[in-house]
Amino acid sequence: MKTMDILDFFLRTREAQRALHQARSRLYRVAYAWCHSAALADDLVQETLTKALQKSSQLRDPKARDAWLFTILANCYRDHFRRSRDMEDIDELELSLEATPETESSRAQIITKVRAAIGRLPQGQRQVVTLVDLEGFSYIEVAQILDVPIGTVMSRLCRARNAMKAILLPEFQQNPEAAAPGIRRIK
Amino acid sequence: MSQEKRFSDEFLNAFVDNQLAPEEKSRAFVDISQDQDLNRQVCELRKMHDLVQHAYREPPAPPAAKNSGRGRARINLRFGVAASVLLVLGIAVGREISLPTPYRQSLAAGATTTEDTAAVGSNGTVPADPARGNAQEIKQPRVLVHVTNDDTARLNQALDDIESLLTHYRHAHQNARIEVVLNGKGLGLVRADTSKFAQRISQLQKKYKNLTFAACQNTIDRLKREHGIVVRLLPGVTVIDSGMAEIMRRQDQGWAYLQV
Repeated sequence: MKTMDILDFFLRTREAQRALHQARSRLYRVAYAWCHSAALADDLVQETLTKALQKSSQLRDPKARDAWLFTILANCYRDHFRRSRDMEDIDELELSLEATPETESSRAQIITKVRAAIGRLPQGQRQVVTLVDLEGFSYIEVAQILDVPIGTVMSRLCRARNAMKAILLPEFQQNPEAAAPGIRRIK
Repeated sequence: MSQEKRFSDEFLNAFVDNQLAPEEKSRAFVDISQDQDLNRQVCELRKMHDLVQHAYREPPAPPAAKNSGRGRARINLRFGVAASVLLVLGIAVGREISLPTPYRQSLAAGATTTEDTAAVGSNGTVPADPARGNAQEIKQPRVLVHVTNDDTARLNQALDDIESLLTHYRHAHQNARIEVVLNGKGLGLVRADTSKFAQRISQLQKKYKNLTFAACQNTIDRLKREHGIVVRLLPGVTVIDSGMAEIMRRQDQGWAYLQV
């Protein structure tokens, strides 16, 4: 009985640790979408994984692992802004992407515009929209991760997408026309 | 207008994010595909969803300076490689979207080649031009179903939805066209080695000549490059250059867009 317990514990811990490392890039992607700062996102992920590894034995249901990890990330993110409220303004973290020769490609332009639009959303809306769209979490999972009621998740998502539509749709309607003359040029 | 009220913004978002119960979704599926305005709204929401995914597919690599270590170097290398692949892909996709090639046209479903060629050729003009096509062709319901999922239950539900849509149009004596575009994980549905629905797809293809399955070449290439998988497709599945480009082309041509 005892041996089984120990064996089980080790297997579960090893499995959990391996999975945590695999989750790194996904956590980073979402953290980056939240704060738009590579350095801060990296720190948050580091902190999240450290906490997760310490608490990995708490995770009973491996299926809930993803939601659990992102809950830790959300807490780290919230703590970060609680700690450094005087030093950093969330609005200051808005995109600082600048046009470089690489961004001339239309794909890069789209990415820059979408990130800028997301950067303009209030923090809560940004978190909901990225958890749903990037990680494919259900509304219930998002409500648990962010510790808000499901109705709030739905209304934030709704407002976020409407705001993004207002910013982005006019941009994309111009695009094909803008591209057309370039293609027709013969000289 | 009444339908617009019936479906709140929250409901449409939940539809887009697949958060509805199966029977609720099936009902909404048919309603939305028949209502142009609802369709446009769903399409726009879907676009927002895709854009967010697109924008963060490759976030910038974390700064290397702070904690140098083997793991970090590896991660940076990985991001670097991913970024260069992304750049090449970006150029390819960008060119493809702005420059539809004859290659692409030849891949279009045989029965409607003329329609496709004309729509592509007009480059930017709305295909519903009364001076060009006949009125019947313009009214033809055309639905693009985008599959990016490999969940068996959802795929099963999707095939049910597609079939009910096809049956609906057949009973209504409407000559509809439905194109199922498969990319990402969705490609599994038409891979000969992985598909659990080979027989069902074959039956559907036999029964409905107006149904086409189109697999994304980019996904096929990526599977080969990253996982060494040589994809074999089910019989009758056509190949398109890029799933995303196809969706944008079809939307420009006025097709309804639904994702599962």
